[in-house]
Amino acid sequence: MAEVEIRAVSKAFKSRTGTTQAVSGLSLTIGHGEFVALLGPTGAGKTTTLRLVAGLEAPDNGSIRIDGRDVTGEAPADRDVAFVFQQYSLYPHLTVFENMAFALRAPTRRVPEAEIRAKVEQVARLLHIEAKLNNKATQLSGGQMQRVAIGRALVRSPAIYLMDEPLSSLDAKLRGEMRLELKRIQTDLGATILYVTHDQTEAMTMASRIGVIEAGRLMQIGTPREIYENPVNAYVAARLGQPAINLLPADIFAGVPHGARTIGARTEHLTIARGGGAVCATVTRIEHLGDQSYLHLDLGGQPVVTLSDPEAELRAGDAVSLGLRNPLFFDAAGRRLAA
Amino acid sequence: MNELSASSRIAYPAAAAQPRVTHRLRGLSDRALAWLFITPTILLLLAINIFPLIWTIYLSFTNYRANRANVPTRWLGLDWYQSILTDPDIWAAMQVTAHFVIWTVIIETVLGFGLAFLIDKKFRGHGAWTTIILLPMMLSPAVVGNFWTFLYQPQIGLFNYVIGFVFGRAPSSFQMLGDVTLSPWAIVIVDAWMWTPYVMLICLAGLRSIPDYIYEAAEVDRASKLRQFWSITLPMALPFIMLAVLFRGIENFKMFDMVNLLTGGGPGSTTEVASITLKRAAFESWRTGYSSAFAIILFVTVFGLANIYVKALNRVKSR
Repeated sequence: MAEVEIRAVSKAFKSRTGTTQAVSGLSLTIGHGEFVALLGPTGAGKTTTLRLVAGLEAPDNGSIRIDGRDVTGEAPADRDVAFVFQQYSLYPHLTVFENMAFALRAPTRRVPEAEIRAKVEQVARLLHIEAKLNNKATQLSGGQMQRVAIGRALVRSPAIYLMDEPLSSLDAKLRGEMRLELKRIQTDLGATILYVTHDQTEAMTMASRIGVIEAGRLMQIGTPREIYENPVNAYVAARLGQPAINLLPADIFAGVPHGARTIGARTEHLTIARGGGAVCATVTRIEHLGDQSYLHLDLGGQPVVTLSDPEAELRAGDAVSLGLRNPLFFDAAGRRLAA
Repeated sequence: MNELSASSRIAYPAAAAQPRVTHRLRGLSDRALAWLFITPTILLLLAINIFPLIWTIYLSFTNYRANRANVPTRWLGLDWYQSILTDPDIWAAMQVTAHFVIWTVIIETVLGFGLAFLIDKKFRGHGAWTTIILLPMMLSPAVVGNFWTFLYQPQIGLFNYVIGFVFGRAPSSFQMLGDVTLSPWAIVIVDAWMWTPYVMLICLAGLRSIPDYIYEAAEVDRASKLRQFWSITLPMALPFIMLAVLFRGIENFKMFDMVNLLTGGGPGSTTEVASITLKRAAFESWRTGYSSAFAIILFVTVFGLANIYVKALNRVKSR
């Protein structure tokens, strides 16, 4: 395990339709034993960043250091990284055991066979796939395949584990289980992980720090709590929270700070009372999710979504008054303003 | 809760009220409609495939001759089969066929896979090269047979000129089609020239079906290019390669047109593949019963070998 430093890295892809700047001037340091999640929508440059660290892409500018050593020009094999791909990148004609032993059998590693067996079996137990070791990779379910893919990375002890949305192809239940398991394994092994996801729950629950990426730039990096409570801009604020933050025009409410154009209001920032008031809205829909209910409001044509108080017993068509409680303010450029 | 149950209550009657269009169309049931569509095909298949096959099997037990159709035929039982399977000339023809099939399949598979492997590298202009390589395959075997006879001409042939030039010999010092040792190779070369592109095309499909991320994973896992080839490329492309071998094998087992044009089975009977022997027996000696028996023997051989092979192919695929 080691520290990984990404310094002002840029990468553009040229295609027939033009140049796409995938990553621009991105700097990030992942500390020893840290779990950093890169969060952003599709096409934000998360995966490219990961591939740059792995050496599967070469940066146009900037450098990458692993454990103090500049690896920018090195091939993936020389970097001492492990990569878990979004698709199950298993060798279909090999057994689970052979798949997991594949990396250890590289001629440059010279790991004795007994040690390979011991290591693979240990990791298989950790991932609860020890009974499947002799199965062909293609005879597994999706969840098992992804465990094997993760296991292939775990049998090695690389400087850093790079994971590209490893849970996105699993169903919701399995994803929840694997989230817990991955976090447990990371804590047990003290592994350094750079984890790419577009799922805020994964980032929030597993990461020690979250980096929010948009259009190839790192918008903000911090603990999940910091990112949630103190987003630097409206974009970062919109990435976290369920239901998503409501970005409302500032002139709807009175008493906003000077220069504020947008108010960011999550459920905890909104007070709702039955009947009319200074700011009035109409209930359009109530979505019951079982343990909680989403309340959809119409605020003068502006949709607002919040969690509903089960006691309130509101119905579609009811009029409510809206109030604010320490919301977030953003200026015209979307930057955060002090309240 | 109200909205949820309300919507589900609406959904059910709507589904039930939908007319069952799939079951009836102007009084015809699904089954009748299906028969209506496939009957012409089945009739055609019976008329031009199944009936001739059964008729051939019948003829193979008789002394029928197509050029003396009015002479009463005699039932011979398995006589033809016995005489064919003990005839050294037939076995010679089978050996020529085996030589032709085995060498063409080996050469076409190795070259075809090699070309596919190179073309798959997606270098500049690889699309144009693919088209150029595919050209021979698009020609008619009759055309190919005719112009290779010219290329193989000892005096004016381009092939002889080039080989003579490279090995420092007179172009007319050897005859590809007239020489007993060279002519079996002459037909192998032409078939390989014509059909390697086809094998390449199938192998290329196989190589393209291997996702890039498997190679990337292997690269991160420190697998050398050679190891990647042996543990990823070859095993994952193997079902495709085997399919190409199957197609070429069956096709060349019954090779007739090109060999007939190039050598006509000669010199002597050195390039007389089974189908040429068959044609001679059937349409030169008019031994219809005899040639029917031979045709059935060939058919059973190809069918049997292909079946064994397909089983092996399925095993590879299901790995």
